[in-house]
Amino acid sequence: MTRGAILNGLIYVVVMGGIWVALAGAMPFKVTGMFLASGLAIGSLYALGGIGMVVLYRASGVLNFSAGAAGAAGAMTAWQLGQWGVWAPLNWLACIAVALALTLLYGRYLAPRLAWRETVVKAVATLGFALIILGLVSFIWVDDPRSLELPTDQVGIVLFGLRVTATRLIAFAAAIAIVIGIWAFLGRTEIGLQMRAVANSRDLSALLGIPIARVETIAWGISGLLAGFTGLMFANLIRLEPVVITFMVIPSIAAALAGRLNSLALVLVGGLSMGVIESLLTLSPFLKGVRPIAPFVIAALVLLWTQRGTKLTFGGRD
Amino acid sequence: MDRSLFRLTPSGTSGLIFAALCFAFLPMLAGSYWLAIFTSATIFAMAISGVAFMYARLGMVSLTQVGLMGVGGWVTLRLNHLFDWPFEVNMVLAAFATMICGWILALPALRMRGLYLALVTLMAAGGLEILFATYQFPNGGAGFWGVKIGSTEPFRRPFLAQSPEAYLRYCITIATLGFLFIEGHRRLFPGRAWALIRRSEAAAMAAGVNVTLYKTWAFGIAGAIAGAAGALLAGSLGLLDDGTFRSSESIMLFALAVVGGARFWLGAVIAAVLFRILPGLLNTWGVDTDLAFVIFGVGLLHALITAPNGIAGQIHELIAKLRGAKP
Amino acid sequence: MIEIDTITVRFGGLVALNEVCATLAAPVAGIIGPNGAGKTTLMNVVSGFITARSGRVMVEGQDFLRLAPHRRAQKGLRRSFQKEQIADDLTVLENVLVQTDWSLTNTRAKRAEAMEMLAAVGLADRAHKIGAALSGFERRLTDVARCMVGQPRLIMFDEPAGGLSVEETSRLGDLILQIHGLTGAQTVIIDHDVELIRRICAETLVLDFGRRIAFGPTADVLADPRVKAAYLGTEEVAQ
Repeated sequence: MTRGAILNGLIYVVVMGGIWVALAGAMPFKVTGMFLASGLAIGSLYALGGIGMVVLYRASGVLNFSAGAAGAAGAMTAWQLGQWGVWAPLNWLACIAVALALTLLYGRYLAPRLAWRETVVKAVATLGFALIILGLVSFIWVDDPRSLELPTDQVGIVLFGLRVTATRLIAFAAAIAIVIGIWAFLGRTEIGLQMRAVANSRDLSALLGIPIARVETIAWGISGLLAGFTGLMFANLIRLEPVVITFMVIPSIAAALAGRLNSLALVLVGGLSMGVIESLLTLSPFLKGVRPIAPFVIAALVLLWTQRGTKLTFGGRD
Repeated sequence: MDRSLFRLTPSGTSGLIFAALCFAFLPMLAGSYWLAIFTSATIFAMAISGVAFMYARLGMVSLTQVGLMGVGGWVTLRLNHLFDWPFEVNMVLAAFATMICGWILALPALRMRGLYLALVTLMAAGGLEILFATYQFPNGGAGFWGVKIGSTEPFRRPFLAQSPEAYLRYCITIATLGFLFIEGHRRLFPGRAWALIRRSEAAAMAAGVNVTLYKTWAFGIAGAIAGAAGALLAGSLGLLDDGTFRSSESIMLFALAVVGGARFWLGAVIAAVLFRILPGLLNTWGVDTDLAFVIFGVGLLHALITAPNGIAGQIHELIAKLRGAKP
Repeated sequence: MIEIDTITVRFGGLVALNEVCATLAAPVAGIIGPNGAGKTTLMNVVSGFITARSGRVMVEGQDFLRLAPHRRAQKGLRRSFQKEQIADDLTVLENVLVQTDWSLTNTRAKRAEAMEMLAAVGLADRAHKIGAALSGFERRLTDVARCMVGQPRLIMFDEPAGGLSVEETSRLGDLILQIHGLTGAQTVIIDHDVELIRRICAETLVLDFGRRIAFGPTADVLADPRVKAAYLGTEEVAQ
């Protein structure tokens, strides 16, 4: 992590602390601790979504808006298999497999056709893919309230006065583990090195003989696996509704922006801070009605901050 | 003034004729069900033109146009229930307020690469969706938010456009003015600056163009048009519903603007028809409207990968080919 | 008089320009050097796309580096790129008019001046041809015409002859020689075509690895053994 990123991360924590003091300072920790726990829970979901986006973006230059939709398709598949009585762990695998398949389908057959276009066009194209997936999923499964349960929902601990299910703990732990895992992967393996090279400069990497197609396929594959897992978590912890899961991509973007589309650790810290701040806003009588927009406001402020003093750069790849 | 401002191109002429024909005949053709749909399509065509010109002429992607329509609609409703001003005043104020709102939302991204504007507007769409769901739309109640339980206060339509037919004509007129407003910009110096910015922001800067200013201006126009469209929508329905302004609607609006053909007025019309009329048709034919999403998604991918000028672009090419083939 | 005063540019650890100094007084000056020498970087600094670590660029007593990029154009800076930047959607005339759109002077006067410069480059008859329909040379000429309107002070050409035939290059060279007479502006050219530089540039700056290795009248510079060594390498005699 660069010094700037560490500083950035500290700012998130400090701001989070500041808001805590402002809103919750007067109250006993027994009460406010619940908000911390619930904030960390939702924050880890934002972070998970953001991590998936940033990993792929760094390796391929594509900001994949269809990750949520792929996850939704996977989650619905898992639910359906559960309805048919299939053994639960297979369902979860199916969820991840479906999301992986969809993501790879896009990455191998559609993304290359847009490889030389501007970044924003590549991102908008994934929106098209998201619409296709969402349409098919909504078509196949009638709009009914559903839920996706995991055995870890039954187990829980009491943390800071709030009952936290094992699923939430898994989401939180997974976010951290994934960041560490990907950091190790990028830093320690040869493929990871190649991926960093491609992220830095695609053309130069091709000239060096790095197998671009293979590296990008692996990047899309990782993104697909993450999308599947994230979709499963969203389905369980928020709601099993395709539209909702698909558009969780929006707070994921907020978390990705908090990480400056670059540093996974920063996405994690940023996402968690967003979750906690959003949760703490419940304590403000004035702001509590709009607390769900907290991640967006934070991301916008981060953008404003990072671009201070920036001159416009060339229209180049972008 | 630059004389070429008023030159009439074949496309422009056909556009004006189309608008005139719609003005004259559309209200007469439709029963009340289709009248409402045509009105809605006209209003959204206007909003689409805002988002389309930004993308076609400047490469700027805004994924929150419907959300901004919601802002315009909100302001119009609030003003309507708060004061006694005529509709036109409310509409102009709504356009202005939406423009300012759009600027505030887009401010973090206007000096950055195009991708960030797309991201920021997408987040804005999400945020606006939450705001509308939380605070709803004014219906005559007291306080800042103006919401009360019970029946809605009446909405004052424009003096000239009380009946549904007259209102459709009014919308067609305003929409046409909106198109002309954008086209007027295109023919004068803003259009020149935009074209050079599209080519290369560096070259534009080197030519003395204040790139941020012109991008902001373009976004402001799109916002103002969205605000006016929202006002028209409020006038059409008398009350607005937060479901109309979800973030998915903004995304689809942009997708359809590209599918229809972002460079052409015909593209905006096609996009509006797809947006408002296709789902209704699918319903009539007994096809699941969810498949509309699939069609739009495929259309967007197709447009981006192979047909950058959309359906309208392919029509234009066809016409040019037919014309060229004539001896 | 253009004074480049101790310009230093660093990209992280790489020093792209190392305290480059030169005072350009001739109507047409050249900048040459091997690939990677920093020629385009120098132009980018003057244009404002890159921030210099230190140094000034004085044009008629004003330090251009303190102005925002688009403001420099308003003060008389013109820049043409390696790939000509002509908007496909605009006509030749409209492409030229963009350069003066910022000023509030009379529209008719601006149009007249634009047509005058188009006539000077030989495109007056094609003033209403749309950008997309222009040939490569026509696009370059439009670029040049755009650089010539609105009282330019310093016009910078980055490899203007790239992709042009011998005849077109010769015509371009003639045109550049006329610029000072038509507009009073000084021109600076980067190019690899040494014959072009020799013909039209009265003085030349040579860069290598970000440093100035020679500056002066073009003939002297081109004969300088250090310049030859930079391009061709030196022969090391084994002892």
